[in-house]
Amino acid sequence: MDRTYFGQHSSAQFNEALESIRNHLMEMGGLVEKQVVDALEALLQADSALAEKVLETEDKVDKLEMLIDEQCTKVLALRQPAASDLRLIIAVSKAVSDLERIGDESAKIARMGLQLAEEGESPRGYVEVRHIGNHVRNMLRDTLDAFARFDAKKALEVAAEDNEVDLEYRSAMRSLVTFMMEDPRAISRVLNIIWSLRALERIGDHSRNIAEQVIYLVEGKDVRHISVDEMEEKLKG
Amino acid sequence: MDNASTLNKGQQVRRAANPLQAEGKPPMSNEHPYPEKTVGAPFVDDPKMRMRDVDVFYGDKQAIHGVSLDIGKNEVVALIGPSGCGKSTFLRSLNRMNDTIDICRVSGSLHLEEQDLYDPKMDVVELRARVGMVFQKPNPFPKSIYDNVAYGPRLHGLANKKYDLDEIVETSLRKAGLWEEVKDRLHQPGTGLSGGQQQRLCIARTIAVSPEVVLMDEPCSALDPIATAKIEELIAELSESYTIAIVTHSMQQAARVSQRTAYFHLGHLVEMNDTDTVFTKPQHSLTEAYITGRFG
Amino acid sequence: MSKTTEQVRQSLAKRYRAEKRFRAFGIASIAFGLLALLLLFTDIIGKGHTAFFEHYIQMEVTFDADTLGIDDATNQDQLNFANYDGVIRNALRERFPQVQSRGQKRELYSLISTGAGYPLRDMLASHPALLGQTRTLWLLADDDVDQYFKADRQGREDSRLTPEQKAWLTSLDDNGQVKKEFNASFFTSGDSREPELAGIWGAVCGSFFTMLVTLLLSFPIGVAAAIYLEEFAPRNRFTDFIEVNINNLAAVPSIIFGLLGLAIFIGLFGMPRSVPLVGGIVLTLMTLPTIIISSRAAIKAVPPSIREAAMGLGASPMQVVLHHVMPLAMPGMLTGAIIGMAQALGETAPLLMIGMVAFIVDVPAGPVDPATVLPVQIYLWADSPEQSFVALTSAAIMVLLAFLIAMNTLAVFLRKRLERRW
Repeated sequence: MDRTYFGQHSSAQFNEALESIRNHLMEMGGLVEKQVVDALEALLQADSALAEKVLETEDKVDKLEMLIDEQCTKVLALRQPAASDLRLIIAVSKAVSDLERIGDESAKIARMGLQLAEEGESPRGYVEVRHIGNHVRNMLRDTLDAFARFDAKKALEVAAEDNEVDLEYRSAMRSLVTFMMEDPRAISRVLNIIWSLRALERIGDHSRNIAEQVIYLVEGKDVRHISVDEMEEKLKG
Repeated sequence: MDNASTLNKGQQVRRAANPLQAEGKPPMSNEHPYPEKTVGAPFVDDPKMRMRDVDVFYGDKQAIHGVSLDIGKNEVVALIGPSGCGKSTFLRSLNRMNDTIDICRVSGSLHLEEQDLYDPKMDVVELRARVGMVFQKPNPFPKSIYDNVAYGPRLHGLANKKYDLDEIVETSLRKAGLWEEVKDRLHQPGTGLSGGQQQRLCIARTIAVSPEVVLMDEPCSALDPIATAKIEELIAELSESYTIAIVTHSMQQAARVSQRTAYFHLGHLVEMNDTDTVFTKPQHSLTEAYITGRFG
Repeated sequence: MSKTTEQVRQSLAKRYRAEKRFRAFGIASIAFGLLALLLLFTDIIGKGHTAFFEHYIQMEVTFDADTLGIDDATNQDQLNFANYDGVIRNALRERFPQVQSRGQKRELYSLISTGAGYPLRDMLASHPALLGQTRTLWLLADDDVDQYFKADRQGREDSRLTPEQKAWLTSLDDNGQVKKEFNASFFTSGDSREPELAGIWGAVCGSFFTMLVTLLLSFPIGVAAAIYLEEFAPRNRFTDFIEVNINNLAAVPSIIFGLLGLAIFIGLFGMPRSVPLVGGIVLTLMTLPTIIISSRAAIKAVPPSIREAAMGLGASPMQVVLHHVMPLAMPGMLTGAIIGMAQALGETAPLLMIGMVAFIVDVPAGPVDPATVLPVQIYLWADSPEQSFVALTSAAIMVLLAFLIAMNTLAVFLRKRLERRW
């Protein structure tokens, strides 16, 4: 049973306001997702032009964030939303800041890409970046899908995936640190890769945060700061 | 490029992702059946009033269908629901105000502590002294402020001396937060007060007989926001010494003043729960639809 | 200018004209009503105002013991049977010694009212020393004489009086022996066959007692019935039936109530005829529906919120009615009662049926004395042949109208005074 829908409010204007917030959120999600994809591509292909494009998009994302926040405030003030509407507004306003942070992180990756393009390729780490990058990208896409479809199950999967990303990140870290100890000359370039990995890991965390908001939005249950097992437990109960 | 196309696809999918909208089903169709049992937690330990399987009929028409709920001690319970959902009818059956309507029939078990409200031996006058009522429209008697408040105590012989009566009047007006405003004009007609003051006068009149439970039937629907805020403040204060059941059309009001909220729909008690639960994550789709303003 | 505005403007003139016509029609209706009222009043006052005055003729009256046929002026029996007319006739003969023939004497005697002797008796009773003395007195003129003096020239020529009588009157008038005075006896005496003696007081008293009985019966019964029907009676076929019948009763022609009174109160219960008690009971029957209907309307107008408030505080249904509904409905109920009473006051037909149409000279002292009432008195006088009764009829109508206006004013006053706002 899905009871989270925007339509059928007695007030058509309310419907429109919520629909508009949702559309802007989806637009922002799309932009951020593309930023992540492009940043990765720029890093992996040492494509400076693409990296610049990522940095330019940053501005658009920030504007969207402010726009959505403003719309949420307006709905809160004018409509005093309750229940699912209230949860939607809360979830959106939190997801928006996570998305904005994801945008920031991908900008960071793009900047690393620019530096690497100047300084020359890192001798190691591209495999890890590609691997973790794909993983994180899927997470972000799934979490946005879950948001769009109010799909708590999918959101839970995203949260579970974040654990894997964390594991992969730690193992990649270990191998890169080992490599740097072996070859100190490459430290600065490998560090760029490490920062990128770090940013990807953060993007994973933000995606998980958004997934948690989706669960709150759909199920009305707060699943932050608990393990995935506990989450499942809570959702069943 | 590959990535970009997946992204676009994803967005397209997302746009069509609202399942209910996609199927175009109205929220009032059969997908909102009444629950077999009231959703949430309608019962409390050691209740002040205990209602079980209450049916109310107007002639052949059933207005209330098997409502069971508890009202706890010193608790504010809000009854909400769309117009004609039977919340007022239910409230009025709690002090047998429905008795005055010939065709109205109440069945089921209704208890005030251990006493059966509809026991033939139960005296309506006594019941109404214990379960007072405040009405939708401020309805002071066309008498002086003093006489309005003193009417109940006089009726039940609560004060034998003028001094005692004066004291009851003052305490009641103080509790209703009206004393400072009217102490110099106690003998002027109560109908000369403003709407909000009149309603507080009616509350003072009701609590002058020291009831255990105060029923309020949309007490603020005729008042402006400031007067409403005062009444809400008053309800919060009164809940320290009285048990209060309030019917309201304003969901925000229910959310502000009550500890527990009951949602009625077409004579059924759909959901009853802690107020914050009802207003943040109602468990039944009908409650959800009403709370979020999807019908009514 | 938009199309709508244009269309509105076009239709505007027409609408205003229609409105003006409508208003003019209303004003015309009111004007017609006022005109009719004015005509009625002018006619009545024009005819009736003369009845408030009557003429007196001055005579030298000698309280001659022989003529009176008494020897002791302190003896009440003797006073009652004394021949006062004889004294007056003596006085007339002395004033006009030339009159000799029998016929002429009779004409002379008829100048003075047959009731002129009563004041003489009263004088003698209070001053027994007057016996045997002579006094200059004003004696009440006969109604034909009265009419003669009140009439204009044409009227005087048409008068029933003989030329001799006219000559005598002219001679009296020229000597200043005729005067016009306020007709106090109209307001203080009962009915009489002689117009100059006839008064309205008997009818007023009769009306008063009848109304008293009606009020005492119909108000409590009507209010009680209204309260029961409105506040306590269950809604079912039976009460619906009662309600319909009360409304029907209000439309029943009043003479039916008279027949009912005749058959039941007089025929079955053997109550006396012509008494205000029976009249009052019959009028009660007639007034009850009015009072019940208006009282119910007044009770219905009491806001239900007041009832709920009282009930919510634990007042019993009776307390609700006594403390709240009755005081708030009282102005309406009183107004209804007064209007019902005013209706009853003007009622004739049912009273005719129970014999309150009899010729009754004595002023009734209580509700079981035979009496008549104002409208019946008017009916009786209107039926009488003497010319003077025309004026009397109109005067009586004026009195009745004054009472009705007073009662209606009281109703308005009470409503204004007692009405409480909430």
